[in-house]
Amino acid sequence: MTEPKKIKKPRGKARLIEGKCIACGARCESSCPVNCIVMNDAGEPIVNESACIGCLKCIKICPAQAIEMFFTPEEQQLLHQLAAEGSSTPAVEEEDPEARALAEKLSRYRGVWVFIEQTEGVPATVSWELLGKGRELADTLGVTLSAVVLGEQVENLCHEAFAYGAEQAYLIDSPVLRHYRTEPYLKCMCTLVDKYHPEVILMGATGLGRDLAGAVATVMQTGLTADCTGLAIDDKRNLMQTRPAFGGNIMATIMCDKFRPQMATVRPHVMPMTDHKQSAIGTIISEPCLVQEDDILVKVLEILNDKNKDHVDIAGAEFIVSGGRGMMGQENFSLLHDLANELGGVVGASRSAVDAGWMPQERQVGQTGKTVRPKIYIACGISGAIQHLVGMQDSDIIIAINRDKEAPIFEVATYGIVGDLFQIVPAITNRLRDLKQLKARS
Amino acid sequence: MTVNPILFAIMLSAALLFFTWNLWKRYGLIRLGRPDDRFDNIPTRLQEMFLYAFAQKRVLAKPFGLNHAVIFWTFLILLGANGTFILEGLIPGFSLEHLLPASAYQLVMFLFDAASLLALLCVIIAVGRRIFFKPSYLDSRYVKGQSFEGFLILSFIAMLMLAFFVMNGALIAVMGESRQFMPVSSFVAKLLATGPLHDQLFQTAQFAWWLHALVLIAFICFLPLSKHMHIITAIPNCFFKRLDKSTMLPREDFTPGNSFGVAKVTDFTWKDLLDSFSCTECGRCQDACPAQTTGKSLNPRQVIHTLKTNLLANEQRIRSGASPVLPLIGPEGEGSNTEETIWDCTTCGACLTQCPVLIEQMPKIIQMRRHLVEMEARFPEELLNLFENMEQRSNPWGIAPSERTKWTGTLDVKPFVAGETEYLFYVGCAGAFDSRSKHVTVALATLLDAAGITWGILGKEEKCCGDSLRRLGNEYLFDTMARENIELFRSRGITKIITQCPHCFSTLANDYRQYGIELEVTHHSALLAELLASGRLKVTKQSDIFGKTLYHDSCYLGRHNDIYAAPRQVIGAATGTSPSEFVRNQENAFCCGAGGGRMWLEEHDGERINLNRAKEAVDAGADTVCVACPYCMTMFEDGLKDANNETVSVRDIAEIVAEGLRSPDQNQR
Repeated sequence: MTEPKKIKKPRGKARLIEGKCIACGARCESSCPVNCIVMNDAGEPIVNESACIGCLKCIKICPAQAIEMFFTPEEQQLLHQLAAEGSSTPAVEEEDPEARALAEKLSRYRGVWVFIEQTEGVPATVSWELLGKGRELADTLGVTLSAVVLGEQVENLCHEAFAYGAEQAYLIDSPVLRHYRTEPYLKCMCTLVDKYHPEVILMGATGLGRDLAGAVATVMQTGLTADCTGLAIDDKRNLMQTRPAFGGNIMATIMCDKFRPQMATVRPHVMPMTDHKQSAIGTIISEPCLVQEDDILVKVLEILNDKNKDHVDIAGAEFIVSGGRGMMGQENFSLLHDLANELGGVVGASRSAVDAGWMPQERQVGQTGKTVRPKIYIACGISGAIQHLVGMQDSDIIIAINRDKEAPIFEVATYGIVGDLFQIVPAITNRLRDLKQLKARS
Repeated sequence: MTVNPILFAIMLSAALLFFTWNLWKRYGLIRLGRPDDRFDNIPTRLQEMFLYAFAQKRVLAKPFGLNHAVIFWTFLILLGANGTFILEGLIPGFSLEHLLPASAYQLVMFLFDAASLLALLCVIIAVGRRIFFKPSYLDSRYVKGQSFEGFLILSFIAMLMLAFFVMNGALIAVMGESRQFMPVSSFVAKLLATGPLHDQLFQTAQFAWWLHALVLIAFICFLPLSKHMHIITAIPNCFFKRLDKSTMLPREDFTPGNSFGVAKVTDFTWKDLLDSFSCTECGRCQDACPAQTTGKSLNPRQVIHTLKTNLLANEQRIRSGASPVLPLIGPEGEGSNTEETIWDCTTCGACLTQCPVLIEQMPKIIQMRRHLVEMEARFPEELLNLFENMEQRSNPWGIAPSERTKWTGTLDVKPFVAGETEYLFYVGCAGAFDSRSKHVTVALATLLDAAGITWGILGKEEKCCGDSLRRLGNEYLFDTMARENIELFRSRGITKIITQCPHCFSTLANDYRQYGIELEVTHHSALLAELLASGRLKVTKQSDIFGKTLYHDSCYLGRHNDIYAAPRQVIGAATGTSPSEFVRNQENAFCCGAGGGRMWLEEHDGERINLNRAKEAVDAGADTVCVACPYCMTMFEDGLKDANNETVSVRDIAEIVAEGLRSPDQNQR
């Protein structure tokens, strides 16, 4: 007895659609199970058609829909034939048992959490920024947004969290949590995660947040993406975590599709601040603290504050006006101070200005000084030696003012102004003042 | 003349016993150092010993060294005179006169007589120099040029000579015989015969003999306890000199439980400890050191002095197996180096080329850096950034490796392929990333093409050679990077390499040999000199736009690799005239301040080293300072700006040659 010979469904070959590739960074290459895709110098794929098995993986992963399946005319004929037959016998897609188990495991995790960071009761603003983003994610997922508050006498922060969009707050209030120490915070976080199974946890990429997030991810055996600049949800409820990679040359979207919770940290000022709704209310879920003081090896004896009154943190500033040798003298830095004041920023300096004694060492930007990444960096009279560039080239916007149009600073500048800074800087300052006055009047 | 041989024998034996005992103690201390094989290549070692110890090559490098050389040579002769003296004192009736034929005896006595006079004169000059013309470098923080010890030894020598003349003079006068072969003693004899002591000549001779004997005994006793120990240790120290490059410190074995670098005095090798007993505190290294010259804490001479003081201070405890009490690296004080001192070194090697007895100062500093970095993780905070960048991006600035090829721009630069391209052009981090140095890279690439050389690059696969890391004591990271590079070179079949950076050059050519790879590495200065000389590269016009050129020796090209002539020839061929010289040039050249990882460190104390050098260039009336190193380039450009000079320009020698390649109708850049 012989079965009637089945017609094999042609699977086709992957083919690049000319001109659509965005050179995303070889995602198709890495997705190909038979290694039949290699990248050319321009970062576009070259498909070895004879080796392609038509698995569609590259097509699915391509962010620009630049790959299509290609069928020979004979194969197309077969496809038509099959389509005609198929209408009578609908094909049932077979479900992979592995995928099913995974989906089941993942479905146990629901809800978006934001860790509310506080130091001696003072919350970090990045937490409120994250609640804004968390609200968006929770809405997309159709789940609740929760704040996680750990500390001593910090219940007020739960109410603050509601005002910034959280629906509920998990609170562990204990003297053990008074000062941040990795061990008790880690244990409390893990207890909460084990009990409530959130699918997303967001933390601020601060010193504290980076420490805690890494520890939690390690214990929970899940993934963590640090310093995300974008967060979104894909059609399978996965968190798409976008961050710059390879020195900012590409943006990588990182997924954690097989493990939960999905964890991400975000730097301060990356996500916009949300509105504060005083009237908002929510549920506080208080949990006991299971950590005993005696079990913790690290003791906080004393907190020494390194911030003196005149201390200016240029590394954290959003606007920096920097001066170099072109400033000609210490007295001229008042021009920069004026501009910085108008912008609400601070004054930085290049090494030569520091060396000349025009500015203190703590204001130095560059290889041997501070690395800064403000929203706007204005470089005045700085030629842009590599030692300086590496300290500021990651700023969002760089405005360079220099009389030498060949100065290397212009290679990294978003906007370059060739001219005399002693005219240009006051002109900008005055214009800002005028604009502010206009705004105030209207 | 009758002396008491028994009394003399007892005194002499006691002195010799004391001398031997002290020497033995010192020898025991030296043996506490770690092992170091310095017994290879005996013929070369003997040759070097004769050249540096007996021919006094380094001593004579400075004019006043002649004085020392004369003292040294007369001492060799007077060893014979004193040997005779001792034998005469011990064996009644012993006389050279009876042993030697008359002519030989007369010659020997003439030599003794003349040598004594020369020695006496030199000692007087030496005392005069210390009192009236004392150079500043004779003083260091803990040892002064006008020290009691220095004058005591000089007066010992002077007394020995005076006693010799009085003794012989008195004897000649007493005997009444003519000894024309001893002109000085004969002259003294005449003085004595007519002087107030003419009737007590015999007693005078006896007094002089005992004076001579007592001073000699005091000298023997005092010698091993003083810096004049160098009389004994300097000769073996020259024999045991380092035969390979001083930058090539031994590799470390990174297995668990090992300790790295030098934390306490006994972590040094026995040769390091021998160095400390060979130092005579002449101060030449201190005078040449860029850190010391510009008012920083490091003084190479003091590093050696510290070693000796620390060893002696901890002697008891070390011998009993306890750990030392006086720290080798610790707060300011005699016998300890501060961390600041250790980080001040630019590894320029000036101290090494100055030391007359071949002491190795700089490698000791690097060994202490290794301890600070690898065992204590204590280093200036600026270095954290550097170490991270090196580890993660394999370049000092942390720039994305994909930007390594940005300099190629519109040039058609090919990747290195063994068989198709002869040379690998190892561009280096500065050449690839620093916008100023990129001009040099492009100029050199153009020249290589013009000469018809086939070459290629590694592009984004190129990694830093690790020079700064090794000099900064981060041997672990250097080791990792060196292995990676060597693996890459081997897998690509790379054997011939062109570099434009002396630091890459020295590291690839020398340090990598410790990993068993022999590369034919050529610095662009040597390559261009050869291409210009052989006519493969021809300049179309000899450029006159550079004005008065001044060539600055890079430490890692000159002192560490003896390449002095090639870059000068290149400039000469390109401009038609040989470059002018700095006052401090060739092996006396002054560092730009960026070597030894100092490029990545702030300079907090004293004058900036590059400013000091830039001022020298300005004072020399230069229009163009020619360099052959990207670090020197940066340091000079900054230094000239610091000196508020806008007229002197800085050019790499490749740029100068490239200028000569432009067709006459092209305007200058």
